[in-house]
Amino acid sequence: MAVSSAVPPARARTRRRAALVLALVAVLIVGSLGAGADERRYTIAFANLTEEPGATLGATGFTGREVRESFVLAARRLPVDLVFYDNRRDSRTALDNAGDAVRRRVDLFIEYFHEPGANEAVARAFREARIPVLAINYPVGDAPLYAADNVTAGRIGGEALAEFGARAWQAADVIGVVVGAVSNRHDGVPERVQGLVDGLRRRQPSTRIVSLDTQGNPATVATLIGKLLAAQPKAKLLVAALDDTTALAAKSALEAGGRLADAAIVGFGCDRSIHGGANDRKEIDPSNRGSIVLGSVAFYLDRYGYDVLPLALRVLRGERVPSRTMTAHKLITAANVFREYPPYDMQ
Amino acid sequence: MKLASILAAGMLLLLSASGAVAQTDCKKLVPPSPWGPNDQTGATNRVTPAVTKAAAAEIQEGKVVPMSYPLVDGVPLFGTRFTKTILTATTLAPGASFGENELTYMEDTWLSQSHVGTHLDGMGHIGRKDCYFNQTPMGKFITQNNMTKLGLEHLKSFATRGVLIDVVKVLQQSGKFKGNSACKKPCVDKGTVLTSADLQAGLKMYNVTLREGDIVIIHTGWGDLFEQFPAQNATYNSGEPGIGKDAAKWLADQKVVAVGSDTWAVEVIPGEDPKEAFIVHNMLITDAGIHIIENVRTDLMAAEAARTNRATFFFNMTVPRAVGMTGNFVGIDGIR
Repeated sequence: MAVSSAVPPARARTRRRAALVLALVAVLIVGSLGAGADERRYTIAFANLTEEPGATLGATGFTGREVRESFVLAARRLPVDLVFYDNRRDSRTALDNAGDAVRRRVDLFIEYFHEPGANEAVARAFREARIPVLAINYPVGDAPLYAADNVTAGRIGGEALAEFGARAWQAADVIGVVVGAVSNRHDGVPERVQGLVDGLRRRQPSTRIVSLDTQGNPATVATLIGKLLAAQPKAKLLVAALDDTTALAAKSALEAGGRLADAAIVGFGCDRSIHGGANDRKEIDPSNRGSIVLGSVAFYLDRYGYDVLPLALRVLRGERVPSRTMTAHKLITAANVFREYPPYDMQ
Repeated sequence: MKLASILAAGMLLLLSASGAVAQTDCKKLVPPSPWGPNDQTGATNRVTPAVTKAAAAEIQEGKVVPMSYPLVDGVPLFGTRFTKTILTATTLAPGASFGENELTYMEDTWLSQSHVGTHLDGMGHIGRKDCYFNQTPMGKFITQNNMTKLGLEHLKSFATRGVLIDVVKVLQQSGKFKGNSACKKPCVDKGTVLTSADLQAGLKMYNVTLREGDIVIIHTGWGDLFEQFPAQNATYNSGEPGIGKDAAKWLADQKVVAVGSDTWAVEVIPGEDPKEAFIVHNMLITDAGIHIIENVRTDLMAAEAARTNRATFFFNMTVPRAVGMTGNFVGIDGIR
């Protein structure tokens, strides 16, 4: 008030007009920048570990097709155009794919590949091309990594079994059984087993634990479990199956041996072989709460796209992202399976 | 004695308090109906005499376009649903006819679930926990046989204007069309999220502005698979194109009466968020009192709209006043 009274009225009007024009220009500039940011679409390439039909990933029952589909679904409402590559578990192919993505000048490259040497070369190529990279499950240079947390997943499964054992069989001879591709030194299996052992022993450190190595062949589960049952006719068994197929095979073996009442099982992965929908009833189902399969620790490979693409957009928008983002594993049981995996099946 | 009374009163207080905690507070989960706390009708409140009269102006040629599919064995059904008829024709047996005029008759027994074929989802169909439309704590209002609130008997007329939105054309024209090879005619592929912008583009295509009280029918072409039953049931059931959350909100804001489509759920499947289940059903029915009509036959009206460049019609559908029911199969005609 005091200022305006000190300025001649004509000059004050001119100043006000100038201020108004400046404000209008500023609003238009900010508006157009904002609109531009909203409209900006990014081309993101995703090179999958393998899309070979039936080939499973990460020591779970999920296939490459399911991982790819999760990217397609997640991208629907994002300003993203996807370019897909299949690395075919082959270093040469992975390098060729990376080279093609560099030539295309994609905005960001997501690499899911297991060979450290190839991943280093991929990291170099994109660094030189100044294209940001995100890595899935295996490091690619210093790119932000999205990965399964096998230690935590193992511990979740081990603790669930240990708690069941403590509740149901207080005075019994309880044995922890780790069954599956135990000798696999890759795919996070050693970490998963370590987490499992820690979890199984958290309540009872002296718990005896035996390993049954299927070497990746679930058909051997019946024989391995059968021998164990024969050797341990009175023991109670807390069975940690390293994947869902093995979990279901273990249940069949226990059923065949007449020992369902002496065991509890936890699987890993929570793929569609062990949980279904409203009609496609599977082992983990709200109507099957009495099963000795307590549940399966979810690895969510069928939702990787929903986790990774938002990270990619943050990178592209210049935001800082954590150097490591881990899958939020959870034990899926009959009590929460429909909440976690809402059914939409009709058949 | 006094101490015992105090203890007893304390126990009663604790019990009543725990009971209050255990029961869902529907006021926190579901918005109130705009038609008041006693409303069990929902969006058909919008079909006023003026709305019906205005809709009647759509009848210009008297042409009737069927918009429901025949309900027969083999059509795709959701989950474990079933529908079956049994014909009673005993009087056709020799000597069983009545009187000198030899009257005979036949009747049916229809063993069917209500949400089969072309059908309407009523206000009592979908809730959030035990809370349904208009903050109704539905657990208190169900018997072994039916609901004692929100049944179909509370619905008013559906005699209003229908508006067809042809998203096949919209997506084709915008270059975003992705089809499915199992369809004999162009159909939008499953998983395609239809946005409010797509719907508005469809309205603009035929120069239509939505009015309060309209019924919106979305043609995706997916119904082509329904027509191929049972050969394509698995594909039809495996997912569908449909509206996403922003389109559902936009439609609710337009104050429509119902949203129908040639799909089994109207909304996009798989949904936008894998952790949400049929969220558009919640948004339209539970929160806004807007009906969903599924498995609507839309291809004939889409062709009619394309031929005449007019996408509006008189929506003719009656719903049985079936007391306490959550929905029912319906017959729909679009009259032009």
